[in-house]
Formats: sequence, structure tokens, C-alpha cells
Amino acid sequence: MKKKVISALSGLAVGVLASTVFFGNFSTPDTVSTASAKTDAEKVYVPFGEKDEYYLFASGGHSGQMFIYGVPSMRRIRTVPVFSPDPATGYGWDTHSKKMLGGYTWGDLHHPAFSETNGEYDGKYMFATDVANSRAAVMDLKTFTVKDMIEVPNTSGPHCAAFVTENTEYLFLPTRFSVPLGHQYASLDEYSEKYRGVMSAVTFDEKAQKLHIAYQVALPPWSYDLSDAGKKISKDWAVLTTYNTEEATTNLEINASQEDRDFIVLFNWKELENMVKAGKYDNVGGQKMIFPEKHKGGIYLVPVAKSPHGVDVTPDGKYFIASGKLAPLLTVFSFEKAFQAIEKKEFAGERNGIPILKYESVMEREVNPENALGPLHTQFDDKGMAYTTMFISSEIVKWNPETGEVLDRVPVQYSPGHAVAAEGDTVSPDGKYLVSLNKLAKDSYLSVGPSHPESMQLIDISGDKMKVIQSSPVDPEPHYGQMIKADKIKTVEVYPKENNNPDAVYNQKDARIVRKGNEVHVYGIAMRSKFIFDANAKRPDVIEVNEGDKVVIHLTNLDFDEDITHGFAINQYNLNMEIQPGQTNMIEFTANKPGTYPLYCTNFCSALHQEMTGYLLVKPKQ
Amino acid sequence: MAAAKLSPLSAVFVGAAGGLLLLSLAFPWWGMDFIAPQYPEGLEIIVYPNRLEGDIDIINGLNHYIGMKPFSEESFPELGYLSYIVIAMAIAAFIIAFTRSKRGLYVFIAAFLIGGALGLYDIHRWLADFGTNLNDNAPIDIDPFVPPIFGENRIANFTTFSYFATGAYLVGAAFVCLLVPLWKERKT
Repeated sequence: MKKKVISALSGLAVGVLASTVFFGNFSTPDTVSTASAKTDAEKVYVPFGEKDEYYLFASGGHSGQMFIYGVPSMRRIRTVPVFSPDPATGYGWDTHSKKMLGGYTWGDLHHPAFSETNGEYDGKYMFATDVANSRAAVMDLKTFTVKDMIEVPNTSGPHCAAFVTENTEYLFLPTRFSVPLGHQYASLDEYSEKYRGVMSAVTFDEKAQKLHIAYQVALPPWSYDLSDAGKKISKDWAVLTTYNTEEATTNLEINASQEDRDFIVLFNWKELENMVKAGKYDNVGGQKMIFPEKHKGGIYLVPVAKSPHGVDVTPDGKYFIASGKLAPLLTVFSFEKAFQAIEKKEFAGERNGIPILKYESVMEREVNPENALGPLHTQFDDKGMAYTTMFISSEIVKWNPETGEVLDRVPVQYSPGHAVAAEGDTVSPDGKYLVSLNKLAKDSYLSVGPSHPESMQLIDISGDKMKVIQSSPVDPEPHYGQMIKADKIKTVEVYPKENNNPDAVYNQKDARIVRKGNEVHVYGIAMRSKFIFDANAKRPDVIEVNEGDKVVIHLTNLDFDEDITHGFAINQYNLNMEIQPGQTNMIEFTANKPGTYPLYCTNFCSALHQEMTGYLLVKPKQ
Repeated sequence: MAAAKLSPLSAVFVGAAGGLLLLSLAFPWWGMDFIAPQYPEGLEIIVYPNRLEGDIDIINGLNHYIGMKPFSEESFPELGYLSYIVIAMAIAAFIIAFTRSKRGLYVFIAAFLIGGALGLYDIHRWLADFGTNLNDNAPIDIDPFVPPIFGENRIANFTTFSYFATGAYLVGAAFVCLLVPLWKERKT
């Protein structure tokens, strides 16, 4: 009996084993998709609770702002005002930002640049320049707020900025427009003699969080378009593209497109720095100005196909790539060849006192993707492959700078200006993602009438072939962007207490109003859900002043709690500011309108936010 | 009887109890976690024998909506002297261990029990004080409540979890160390 059971069981076991061998499914279950098998939707979906892998900082162009997106979701996370006032954050109304904006009500933010350490993004600061009003600004990435802004003299429209050197020694601001020094009046008939395309070398004092102009260079009266700093072997050098070397003064579309070649300005900033140290400069309105025709050395010209836009240095620092924006050709130039030619003084004459290198002696190779037109700007991946935007043929071309081989092409909708790859202009790009910053969206999204958004398209570049996986509308107008690994940015959630800040009030009992003659200083607090301006007053949330008083309001947000931001607005006084958690912010005005003005918290803070109000009472003059 | 001495091993246990008491001063004794939909990461009060840690300001800020008075280290005079009591008890334990006095141990255990009971009553008293003396003018009217010393409670959008922390467990371990000689040297 026992034996029978055992044999029956063993027979059953053999049968199961055999059927498993023959019919069992040992392939990977279909539900587990590998990375390469992910659909486009899966690649860009970031579920709640998870975060994007990269930050994308897209320049906001003539909005004057910076747009912060997450990649790969392509969700817009925040708009950070830089050169334009922003009511949502009170930027331009509180004392600090109002002073920084200097009375300008808009700006044109073009090419953003991260601070770098050893040619890598260090995630500490973001620099931006304003083509409209010749300003430079620095944003602290701990708080994503602008800390300092300067207006640069002698120059107008630093479109060619900003690029930083390998260790953020300098931020260079070459200009799009040439103007007479000091913006003096000078007839356009005297353009070649009196106008200059002044480039500024700006330094950043991290401790004081201040920008300074170290020196300026009076380059010839041409237009300077884009630039890049050298890397590794070329780290002391930088390159700029020029157009209108014809020095035309009208109808540039035609007149600045006459010559077959314009130039790349190749300069050694270490040498310029030494010239300044040696006193080889002129003083122009307080600025140390190098005149290349007089203070020789350190600056050279390389001929390039006419009217180039971008010039981009390869991650290894050996080459720079530039192309005429109307030409089909991409040219790879060699830094090493340029250095040799400079050493041997192999020059083809001079232009405006600057030695010209021979195209043939610097050119490494020419690349001509079939029917590609309008190469504007190049980014790189982790393997050193180049991705160039083609404005006119509306595509991205992937190619190998070492061989010139064209590897792949993908259409984008429509007309890409710049592209930005993951850390794509550093010494070690990440690959993975490229965002095409398209100038036209046309029919890509639901129509909002004749004025369309621009478009950003996310391209997966992890494989041999590029794949467009997401498309995202964006407000006018991203010119360039910077994409940084998210974990490099270390934000703070709450401002730390500044115990030596005399304007801060950290105990609500210390809230007070102090009158000095006709100045009224309020040292108040905001907390869920009230304002206290004077802790001892019958009505602590009321500010009473006399007509004509100067009123200075300091407010500390006593909610040291994540995302509990308060606002402070006074009706009909056109005033609003933001007070971030733990922050002490300040707003000033003259109470020149007598009457009764409600004030309230503008940033929804709590269930009783609606009750977070008070009054400004302005007593009329007797 | 009065001359009876603890065995050397028992003395070691009593000495260890003193050591654990001292060690407990470096750790929190009690705490409360607050979880709400807007605070999935939680807010916390952490009580050390001599100080408070955690999100005290934020919790006070929120508590004012239900009319609870704000609390701080100054609200609890115990934080000023509790650690000295613990140090004194540790010294007493060391003395008992050194003299191996049985009577001393009995008195000490009794004092320990009374102290522990008073401590628990004290926490309860404060919880009741803060939970029941609510300002009538508060924007949100809720019934007075007494949060438990240990376990879960719900107030408005918050679920609270009260718990004993490392220091309290070390004190408990110290008490066990005191009971070991009692067991070992029981009359058979």
C-alpha cells in the first residue's frame, strides 16, 4: 500500500516536471518592461511622490523671467522673475528687488549660465543677462531668488552673454549692439570710428553676493552673437561669434550679409587679466578698458562662414564648432591648431588691429549633412557626440565631431533655435535628454489665437537613435537653457534666523512701530493667520500714519514651516510683497494719499487666510 | 538583618542601574508625533529630561487655532531640575552598589517606584492642563481633551502618537537591574 502511494506520487512529480519543461514559460513576463521597452508615456511620467531627474532652466526671453521645468516630465515648476517685476512674488515692489531692477519694468533674458567648478555645474548660482537693458544678474539656487544685478556701462545688449569660465572666475558679457563709449551721441556716419562692441568681464564675489565689472574690452564695432568658454586644454580661452563685420549701419538683413566670412573672436582671458594687472588699459568713465589695437595680445580672429550664431566647445576642450546660420556647413575648429598658428605667428593680416588666423590652419573638418540648413547651436552627450539645431530645415542632427559622420536626424516642430542637453555644455555631459527649444509652435497645441506659445520638445538621446518623447508649450521665449542633475541643487525650505538683523522680529511680543520725525518704521510679523505691527496697540494689525510720512515696513514671517509663505499688500497703494517662511522683507512708500486702506495677506496661507487683514490709516494734513 | 550585604554580582546590577540612569540623560524620554494631510512627514515634540526639541514653534502656531496656550521649555519647570534628580539617583545607586546595603536598595526601589509614578502623573497633568484649558475665544471650538501619555489620539486634522523614547526605556532597564538582586537574594 505504502509503496503504491510512493510510486503514484513520484509518477505525478515526473509528469509535472515534464510538462513544466515542455510547456512552462521561462521568458521574462511581459508586465516587467525594461528601460528600452518603455513607452514614451512611461518615460515622461513622474508619479506623485517622485521627483524629476533634472531641473531645466529655460530663459524667458523678453518676459525677463526664468522658467524652471522638471525633466523628463516637462512640467513647469516655477517662474522666477529676474529682469521684470512679478506681482506674484512682489518682485519689484519690496525694497531690495525694486532697487535691483533700477526702474526698468522689463528685460530680455537670453542665455543663462550656471556657476561652474572644474568645468562642472556646481549647482550654486545661476547667471543671466538682459539684452534689453544691459544688465547682469545672479540667482542664488538655495532660494531661487535674485541676489544682485548690475547695469553694465559702455555697452548695449549683451546677447552674446553669458558664459562662465571653468571655475566661475569670470562671467563674460559680449554685446550684440555696438554703441559709442559712454552711450554718447555720435552720427552713424562715424560708426566705424566712434562705435565699439564692448565686452565686459564680470566677477562674482560669492561671500558678499555681489557682481563687479573687472575690466572691459573695446572690440570692433561688430555684432557679437554667441560664445563659449574653453575647457580643459583650452580653459584659459574663450570664443565668440560675430556678424556684421561689414560694419553696416542700416538694413542689416542685407548689408550685414555681404561678406562670405565673418569672424570668431578667440581670446585668452588669462592674458587679458595680466594686461589689466600690468596697467595696459585706458580708463573710460571709471572702467578699465582694453583697446585691442593699442594694447596688443590675447585676442585673435578666426574666419568663419558668414553670420554664424552659436559657437560651442566640445567637452574635451579640443574643438570649437561654428557654422554660418545661412550655410549648410558645420565647421569644426581645432584649439591646438589655433595655438600652433598663434605661436608661429601665421597670420593673414589684421582687422581693426587684431591678427587674423587663416581658416585653413585652424579648421579641423567641415561637416555637411545633406539638405540640412541653418545650423545654430550645438550640445553634447556623454560620448562626445554633437547635437546641432537646424533652424531652417527644422531638425536636430546628431553627428560625431571626431569623424564628421552624421549619425541621426530627427524633425522638430518647428524651427529650433537652441537645444539644451543634460549638463550638455560641461566637461562631462550626461547624455539621456536633449530639449529642443523651438521658436514656433504653430499647430502643436490648442489654439489661443494668433499669438502662439513657443515649444520645447524633449528628446530621448540615450540610444543610438533620437526619439522625441514629449512636447511642452512655453511662454515667450526660451533662447537657451541649462539642464542640471536635480541632486546638485540644495535648496533651503525656511530662511534661517538672522539674530543680528536689526529689522527682524522673532518674538511677536517685540512687534513695534517707531516714529522718527516724519518717518514711520514698522517692525512687524506675519504668522498664520494675522499681522502684528505693534504688539502693545489696541489693534495690533493697524498702521496709522500722517499724510506725507515716509513709511518703512519690515515684516518677518514667523512661520518657520515649509511652504507657509505670506504676502503683504496695501489696497490702492499699488504695493505687494512676499515674505517667505522665516524671511524678513521690507517695503517702503510715501503715504501721499490720505484715507483708509485695507491691507491683507496675498499668498494663501491657512484656513483663516481671508481673515489675515488690517488697515493702513493715513490721517489727512490739517 | 540590617547588616545583610548584597552579593558582589547584585552590587554590579545596582551599579549598572546607576549607569543606565546617567546614560538616559543623553536620550529623549518621551515624544509626540503629529500627522496631518498637509504634514505627511509629521511634526514632532521630543522631550529630553532637560529640554524640548522638535517643531515646537510650528505646533504652537497651529495650536492657537484651538485656543491652546503656547508651550516652551520655560513652561515646564521640571526640565530645570529633572536631570539633577536623575543624577542624584544614579549617585545613590553607586553608593548602594559600593556599600552593598540591602536596606539601601529597598529604600531606593521604593523611591524609584514613587518617582516613576509621580513622573507619569506629571506628564498626564500637563497634557490635561494644555488640553483642557483652551481659550474660549479661539477660532476653532473643540471639546477639551486629554491626549494619552501613550498611544494614538485624533484632534481636528491631526492624528497624534504619544510614545516613550530611548531614555525612558533605559530608565525601565535600570529598574529591572534593581529588581534582579531582589530576586536573586530572595529568602529560599
